[in-house]
Amino acid sequence: MRTRLSKLAVVAIAILLGVATIASPARAGDFRVCADPDYLPFSNRAGEGFENKIAAYVAHALGERLVYTWANTRGPDGFEGFVRATLNKRLCDVVMDVPYASDDVLPSEPYYFSSYIFVFPKSKHYDIDSMDSPALKDLKIGFEQDTPAETGLKIRTLILHSVPFDSADDPTGSPRQMLDAIGTGKIAVGITWEPAVGYFLQRMPQLAVVGVPNARSQGSPEQYNFPMAMAARLGDHATQKQLDRVIAAHATELTAILAANGVKLYKPPSVAQL
Amino acid sequence: MKRSITVGGVALIAVLLGIAGVWRPGTAQAPATLAEMAKDPNQWVIPGLNYSSTRNSTLNQITTDNVKNLSAAWTMSTGATRGHEGQPLVVGDTMYYESAFPNHVFAVNLDDYSTKWEFTPKEDPFAPTVACCDLVNRGVAYGDGKIIVDALDGVVYALNSSNGQVVWHTKTANPEAGQTVTSAPLVVKNKVLVGVSGGEFGVRGYITAYSLSAGKQVWRAYSEGPDSDVLIPANFNGPKNAGVSTWQGDQWRVGGGTTWGWYSYDPELNLIYYGSGNPGTWNPSQRPGDNKWSMTIFARDADTGEAKWAYQMTPHDAWDFDGINEMILADLTIGGNKVPALVHFDRNGFGYTLDRRNGKLLVAQKFDPDVNWATGVNMQTGRPEVVASKETKAGVNVHNICPAAMGSKDQQPASYDPVTGYFIVPTNHNCMDYQAFTVKYKSGFPFVGATVKMYAGPGGNRGAVIAWDATDGHIVWTDKERFPAWGGVLTTAGGVAFYGTMDGWFKAVDTKTGNLLWKFHTTSGIIANPMTYMHNGKQYVAILCGVGGWAGINLAAGLTNPTAGLGAVNAAMDLGHYTQLGGDLLVFSLPQSS
Repeated sequence: MRTRLSKLAVVAIAILLGVATIASPARAGDFRVCADPDYLPFSNRAGEGFENKIAAYVAHALGERLVYTWANTRGPDGFEGFVRATLNKRLCDVVMDVPYASDDVLPSEPYYFSSYIFVFPKSKHYDIDSMDSPALKDLKIGFEQDTPAETGLKIRTLILHSVPFDSADDPTGSPRQMLDAIGTGKIAVGITWEPAVGYFLQRMPQLAVVGVPNARSQGSPEQYNFPMAMAARLGDHATQKQLDRVIAAHATELTAILAANGVKLYKPPSVAQL
Repeated sequence: MKRSITVGGVALIAVLLGIAGVWRPGTAQAPATLAEMAKDPNQWVIPGLNYSSTRNSTLNQITTDNVKNLSAAWTMSTGATRGHEGQPLVVGDTMYYESAFPNHVFAVNLDDYSTKWEFTPKEDPFAPTVACCDLVNRGVAYGDGKIIVDALDGVVYALNSSNGQVVWHTKTANPEAGQTVTSAPLVVKNKVLVGVSGGEFGVRGYITAYSLSAGKQVWRAYSEGPDSDVLIPANFNGPKNAGVSTWQGDQWRVGGGTTWGWYSYDPELNLIYYGSGNPGTWNPSQRPGDNKWSMTIFARDADTGEAKWAYQMTPHDAWDFDGINEMILADLTIGGNKVPALVHFDRNGFGYTLDRRNGKLLVAQKFDPDVNWATGVNMQTGRPEVVASKETKAGVNVHNICPAAMGSKDQQPASYDPVTGYFIVPTNHNCMDYQAFTVKYKSGFPFVGATVKMYAGPGGNRGAVIAWDATDGHIVWTDKERFPAWGGVLTTAGGVAFYGTMDGWFKAVDTKTGNLLWKFHTTSGIIANPMTYMHNGKQYVAILCGVGGWAGINLAAGLTNPTAGLGAVNAAMDLGHYTQLGGDLLVFSLPQSS
């Protein structure tokens, strides 16, 4: 499912990273973040993504200077490769947005909970409130590949009339493409991660948004609500503690930043699901 | 019903019936207590028929000889099409029952089948979105002129049984916190016991006793936490504060152990019995420890809620084997001694017989021989002897675990027939492949890599109804079923056992042999529990049908390898080939001539 870039491209990225290292040498008083330079609504070089804004706030709260190392999170080895090539290489100390309980980084306490969502035109009035809603049986469903939505659709054989999207593997793609496909009628309903599209949805009032509840109805545990955290490098407990302190002390401000950027917060389903 | 004093009473009534031939409920004295009322076989006043949850009626008009003539007597739509898992009550000349969500409650006049009153709660619209496994309901309770109704959204209503007016209501669960209620309440003396569902959403399970008169909370006992929360007294025979110490950190706060099954009561010991569900986190690797008191049979003082004893069946659950199935109280002769026993058929595939006075484990044997996650239960420690290769954990794919997560039996209640001494048990027969839990991140998109693939167990049948001897733990007979036997069982003094199937057959079999005596194809598949009552001298058998929207179909769909489902068999079509959604009450009796 993943497009493999050539070895040459990998080398090219490595060289670029090397350059970035020189651009942001480690310095006391720096809040060093690795981020994608071109992946809205998460982050971009212009600082327009919600992860940028959270990073800026945390740096401010710590009284530190925000320093970025830019690297593609949608490269051939995906987010894991990004972590290996940046955080693990000490090019930065923090990444801003990972699922709590990720095991290749050291996550902070969660600073927000959100959910996968159903998106469809309000005018259609579909009766959809879970993956088990009968209405889904007759609709063309868009989903992001390798997400819980894909698993849920497979279990129910709804995948047979579903359309894959792959914005997380295609560095030129955008999570917005699914919303556009709803607009053109290519799909009737989309299932995607709310924070990936919340910013765009703010400007699309014609679309209805319904959270996808966690399910057990098929026997398999299906998790669609996730706690999200910042993360330090494995073993860097000092930075992790620093992040935890900011999250505990500034929950209101962090929540406000997320809300202003269209990230809809869902009820914490509790850490029990992790 | 298994207590000697009660058996005497039943025998007396049986004699009266034998002599009179026809029982006239109108001529009976109004019994003083629910326990007394439950001795009158014409009525069905407790969800499990009696406090012992035997679902064994002394009515004997319908027999192994004449059941072949059984015919539909009257029917009624429930107005709901989600899964119907409960059973009607009959109190005097009125039948009361609750449909699946939206939880319509009906009072039906048994003389002319007119609706005396109807009640539908106005529910929190958020509730259905956090209900785990279809929007089922397992029935109403009766006590002191009130019908007690649990609504999915966690509100408990006490209705005036004569007019349906709300006498009191109280909120026992909060859907916003993932809590819902699907179980049937139990009225014990002047209290109502209510459980909670939502183990999938990190709910810390609890059971609450409310006053029957006003709905005021009398006590609440949690399944996890410090002993003060679990209501474990200082003189408890077991580890102290295990509801905290067997968890890592504060995980007990979201420890699961919900209480969505059935409740039983022993009036002589004044103890209530019930089981707690799975521990709160899906990934066992992330919650080291025994995770007490999930997966536990609790015996609690009915007045104070204090735990008398507790027995954890599946420490550190790695398979989702909730321990909530019914507790059947029966006096059995084991090793020459008469024992006040508790018999429980757990999701984990073991049939347990315990001394209900003290929780001493007497028998623990597989009630499906294909169970393979454990070789047996250590009778000294009570712990299962787990097969290491069948234990699910992060990073490991485990194949061919039997039973599957839905268990060798779920909440569908068994019945105890004291004549044969058999427990007639509706069972599931599925195995599963369990793919490892790992939290992953695809740039921008979180997910948990965990899938359970379920498929029919050895032999290809997905369920069976069995007869079980709980004195030594062996299977007497087995009736295989195409689908999981997801409905309960009724046994009667006529020697007949009744049960329904998901593919829509309502069946009568010989309790002694399991031989099929009669069957009837119903409007929709059955996942509910048969009951029987007598009205104007005629014995009736009633069943709710309604395989439950997606739920029933899910059960079938989940049985096929989901990847195979991509192109091969569409298992969702499988159950649909046999039945359709619906929601009906069907009532049967013998025609006049027989």
